[in-house]
Amino acid sequence: MLRVSQVSKAYRDVVALRGVDLDVPAGEVVALLGTNGAGKSTLLSIVAGLTRPDGGTCTAGGPVGFAPQDLGVYPTLTVAENLRFFARLAGLWGARAKRRIDQVAGPLGLAPLLDRPARALSGGEQRRLHVAIALVPEPPVVLLDEPTVGMDVVSRIALVELVRGLADAGVAVCYSSHYLAEVEELGGPTVILDRGRVVARGTVRELLRDHGESRVDLTFTGPAPDIALPWPTRREERTVRIVTDSPQITAVRAINELGEAAQRLQSVEIRPASLESVFLNVTASETSETSDELNASAESAASNEPDGVASDA
Amino acid sequence: MPDLSWRRAAAVTLKDAEHVRADPAPLIVLTLMPLLIMGFLSSAFEADLTERYGPAPGGIAVTGAEQAVPGIAAMFCFFLVSYVGQTIFREHGWRTWNRLRASPLRAAELIGGRVTSTLLLALTQQTVLFAVGGALFGLHVRGSVAALAVVAVALAASMVCFGFALIAFCRSMMQLNALAYLTGLLFAGCGGGIVPYATLPLWAQALGKVTPTYWAMRGFNEAVLGGAGVGGVLLPVAVLLGLAAVFALAAWCVFRPEQVKVPWS
Repeated sequence: MLRVSQVSKAYRDVVALRGVDLDVPAGEVVALLGTNGAGKSTLLSIVAGLTRPDGGTCTAGGPVGFAPQDLGVYPTLTVAENLRFFARLAGLWGARAKRRIDQVAGPLGLAPLLDRPARALSGGEQRRLHVAIALVPEPPVVLLDEPTVGMDVVSRIALVELVRGLADAGVAVCYSSHYLAEVEELGGPTVILDRGRVVARGTVRELLRDHGESRVDLTFTGPAPDIALPWPTRREERTVRIVTDSPQITAVRAINELGEAAQRLQSVEIRPASLESVFLNVTASETSETSDELNASAESAASNEPDGVASDA
Repeated sequence: MPDLSWRRAAAVTLKDAEHVRADPAPLIVLTLMPLLIMGFLSSAFEADLTERYGPAPGGIAVTGAEQAVPGIAAMFCFFLVSYVGQTIFREHGWRTWNRLRASPLRAAELIGGRVTSTLLLALTQQTVLFAVGGALFGLHVRGSVAALAVVAVALAASMVCFGFALIAFCRSMMQLNALAYLTGLLFAGCGGGIVPYATLPLWAQALGKVTPTYWAMRGFNEAVLGGAGVGGVLLPVAVLLGLAAVFALAAWCVFRPEQVKVPWS
């Protein structure tokens, strides 16, 4: 439904995207994960047709509904007028527009707010309206760029539910976020972007399996004891950190191995593999390599392009 | 141009109307202020116009409104440029511009819808100013009211196209405001909108002939004081429409939808 192939983009000497591939099939939510500046917004902006890529192609199987990262609503118009305008642009007028507005406003908790001017809404309510505007044309492809910024917990949960519902209805959703918990909750395919490059992709389960790091943290009163344990360990002031695939079993065995040091044991913390550890692992391993390449690319762009615009396609 | 839809353009026009309904204050000011100025200026032109044109057939006396009403109406028509510019620039401030670009709306539809709403605003303003100003200050039209209307439409068209050219050219709202008021005053001053063209210094008269206000005032004068019908105002109307075409061409050449506008500075 949405296919991005080898998309590259540079802003003068800063490379924003480096040959990114992305597939979002109909009926799936693909999470796009990355820190600020990773290239998520540039990628979505290219897919939405707002930014021209230097290289590569984007193919969407129909109109694209886009909720950009920056809040974009008409503050002087009511919620209903905002939604009606974008419904009309999509060819929905009269009763069809009203029906569609009701469909979108309900799950996002906007139904009681339809007659209120957007400027009178709270930040979270405005953000929900912002998302609703992207959904009201009933597009087969939806791009949500950090849609839950400023939302309260209830709204955030409702939005994640709504996004799942969209996928169930056959919509291809690309959901960009830097909230790891949200991405874990979506549970579907995830693409991790770092400095404009895809550094990992797969379902959350696959990412945890391939890149996750589970561990046991043993914290002592006083300095961490210098004891030999049969697992890879790191010592930090008062903590011995054991990296292991089976943290529960390892925790029990480690306590038995402590000997006299067990008397000073203050706490045992079992940390299963999380998307956070995946993220830190894959971005850390790419950092040194990528920064070298970035420097090389910037130098090359500056020397090869008279106007300073790099083309790394 | 592929896939153009008048309905999407109409959606833009309707949205603009909703904006006006939500916040009509700027337009009310742009309509009330000229009425006040007409009140201050009308009597100042009475003697000069009486001397040059004499009373209308039937002994209807000249009041000075024959210059003040069309002149001030033409001047404030161009002050709408700033208002219309604001409607475009605030889309950037509200960050809805990119939403429009990402929507099915084509640039031509956006411009078409906005041109329609701006034309309607300008025509409403002109209608109120001629009707209310005329009634309050004793404007007597010796020729055809239809001729007056045709000139008003052509004036509005030239203002809209000039406005869009200026909007396309300016990057910030401050630039637009400065240029809109400067050109609005220059057009009105040199075109005979503020004082009768015949009383202007020669340099101003020379400049005036390239301004839309001059041709609008020429058309208005033909209808109001010269007793002309529609046929008598065709030349000024044709020139106004020609200027509109030139401004439209300039706007089309300079306008870049992807250009980032700075709305508040």
